[in-house]
Amino acid sequence: MSADKNILYPLTGLLSAIAILLSGLVFAKEPLCPALLAGFLLWLLLFGCYRACLRVLLPMLLVGGAFAGITYAASGDGQSALGMMNRTAAVFLAVIPGMSITPVQMTRCLSSLRAPRAVTLGMLIALSFVPLLTLEIRRVREAMVTRGAGSLLSPQILYRAFLIPLITRLVNISDTLSLSVETRGFTLDGKAYSIYHLQRFCLKDGLYILGILAGIAGMAVAVCTQ
Amino acid sequence: MHAVEFKDVCFSYDGQAQILKHISFAAEYGQVTLLSGPSGSGKSTLLSILSGIIPNITPGELSGDVYIDGASIRGCTAEEICRRVGIVLQNPESQIVHKLVEDEIAFGLENMGLPEERIARQIDTVCQMMGLDKAWQTRTLSGGQKQRLMTACTLAMGQKILILDEPLANLDQTGGRELMELLRSLADHGYAVIVVEHRLDLVLPYGDALWSTESGTVQRVEEKTVYLHAQTRKIADPLPPFAAGEDLFTLEHVAYRVGEREILKDISFSVPRGARMVILGENGCGKTTLLRLIARLNRPSGGKITQHLDGRFDRRWKPDREWFRRVGVVYQNPNYQLFMPTVEQEVAFGAPSREYAEEIMARFSISHLAQRHPQSLSEGQKRRVSIAAIAATAPEVLLLDEPTVGQDYQGLKELVELLNRQHQETGCTLITVTHDVRCAGALCDRAVLIAGGRVQQQGGKSLAQAYFGK
Repeated sequence: MSADKNILYPLTGLLSAIAILLSGLVFAKEPLCPALLAGFLLWLLLFGCYRACLRVLLPMLLVGGAFAGITYAASGDGQSALGMMNRTAAVFLAVIPGMSITPVQMTRCLSSLRAPRAVTLGMLIALSFVPLLTLEIRRVREAMVTRGAGSLLSPQILYRAFLIPLITRLVNISDTLSLSVETRGFTLDGKAYSIYHLQRFCLKDGLYILGILAGIAGMAVAVCTQ
Repeated sequence: MHAVEFKDVCFSYDGQAQILKHISFAAEYGQVTLLSGPSGSGKSTLLSILSGIIPNITPGELSGDVYIDGASIRGCTAEEICRRVGIVLQNPESQIVHKLVEDEIAFGLENMGLPEERIARQIDTVCQMMGLDKAWQTRTLSGGQKQRLMTACTLAMGQKILILDEPLANLDQTGGRELMELLRSLADHGYAVIVVEHRLDLVLPYGDALWSTESGTVQRVEEKTVYLHAQTRKIADPLPPFAAGEDLFTLEHVAYRVGEREILKDISFSVPRGARMVILGENGCGKTTLLRLIARLNRPSGGKITQHLDGRFDRRWKPDREWFRRVGVVYQNPNYQLFMPTVEQEVAFGAPSREYAEEIMARFSISHLAQRHPQSLSEGQKRRVSIAAIAATAPEVLLLDEPTVGQDYQGLKELVELLNRQHQETGCTLITVTHDVRCAGALCDRAVLIAGGRVQQQGGKSLAQAYFGK
């Protein structure tokens, strides 16, 4: 399943992710918080992030449910368990707009805003590294199985067989990736650069972020008037 | 004026061991210059100096002078040099930053400040030259396609001096020839092209000058034919003709697809027990996928693979430790499969006894490395250790994915001898995916040629020879 393409203006996506996360954490213990989070989910679906929503939904319910269960078992307090469920859901929901941003969109967006090249480079490497990391973890786990090193009964071997190849690969990849960026003319000084496909903030992005902010404002009002 | 000139250059990473010793070397515009030599002889170091990676990014002690277009590069940053010299590094997969072929090629052009229309034109031109579709997703490309993509990225940037470090490592015969023809035509149009490559049989017909590296020195080779013969003679197969017995694997109408993309459509053949089978085919035809299906790392989306090792494995949903003890899988990149603190422990892990592990280490000539950390070894040594570690579990089947990539002639010869000795002494079945003309015949009793997701031809050693001789 590929990521949703060109759904949101990259900075809008990033800002909305931060807003969703913070509001989820702040209002986690409020009874209306599940409604707010469900509203965010609906809003994200409405703006086309359905692939990312589908990918996140099941893990969100499973992990959130597990954490809520543990909290309830430890404290016996249903309110705390609900709070934990809300916090976990907020983290997962905040990932959705992030999943819709590709490295190239973010690079071009920051470039068009004339952001410092070091920031652009940092975002480029960070966003490029996430899919690489996922791929490498999958390959290392598979290689562990082929060497018969995947048993939980031998935790020391399990840890070595996972961490040593993974770290070696990541170091190699980051070395090559940074060399590749450098040898292809990316510089941190003020040299001129161009943008192939300009990323533009459009009405849809405005509506999207307004909706998110309206939801948070509505929640704040509801909490204050309670 | 030389395009590139090295004058009495010495280099050491640690100030002690000299990697390059007083080398003088030149490359000209309008020529394809080839650099060849054994692994670890200093080729990549030389390229790193030329591209400014040394000393700007990788530090070390550098002396002597390097000139590009007659101007010294002393004091230049890597970025300044790379605007004049285009470089295609090894390991294309690790260099890809974007999701789409179009964006990947555009990246360097944006950094050079080209206008949008020109970037679009350049992308179309290089995609056509390299047989790429600009709408392809970079992560779903085969190894050969990724190599072509990184070459396209460099070509698009339009520097007049091009350096390619082992560009044919992941390319088949046709892909390799096409790339060399392209580089030849660029040289004919005035470019200076420098190629570091082990597969001299493919590159030498296109080269104007050949330089040989050996123990940190560089010499111009005048007798190219003699040198080529010494480096590319096919490795002889010491084993007697194979007498087929019962089948070990039977593949019936096997298909495999990822999303909408059909990688394998209809694959039917069988692998006799104790045979050495070679899987042949062009880049991206699904050879590695087929190997993974046989290894049960993936499940076919259609058809059936029957194994005759043990009926118990059919009842298990996923391959387990016992399966991989009997079916050894050797990865193309050994780094994934090495994790123990010493070579001795690496080989002993999974071996039925300590004595057998020692026997395997002696057989693979790695006893002297016993106390070394596997990840501290050279790439050739790592590959040998990874094969030894898999062989130490005494598997009945060894699946090898491009075991000879990046090996110089001597390393390749030794590796093939080791695999054949292992096969001879244990009777294991070898299934190998390879592009290497030098060794395919020496690892082959049976061959199967895949094209368009189907078995195009089956045969013996003669099929491998005919395929590489076409």
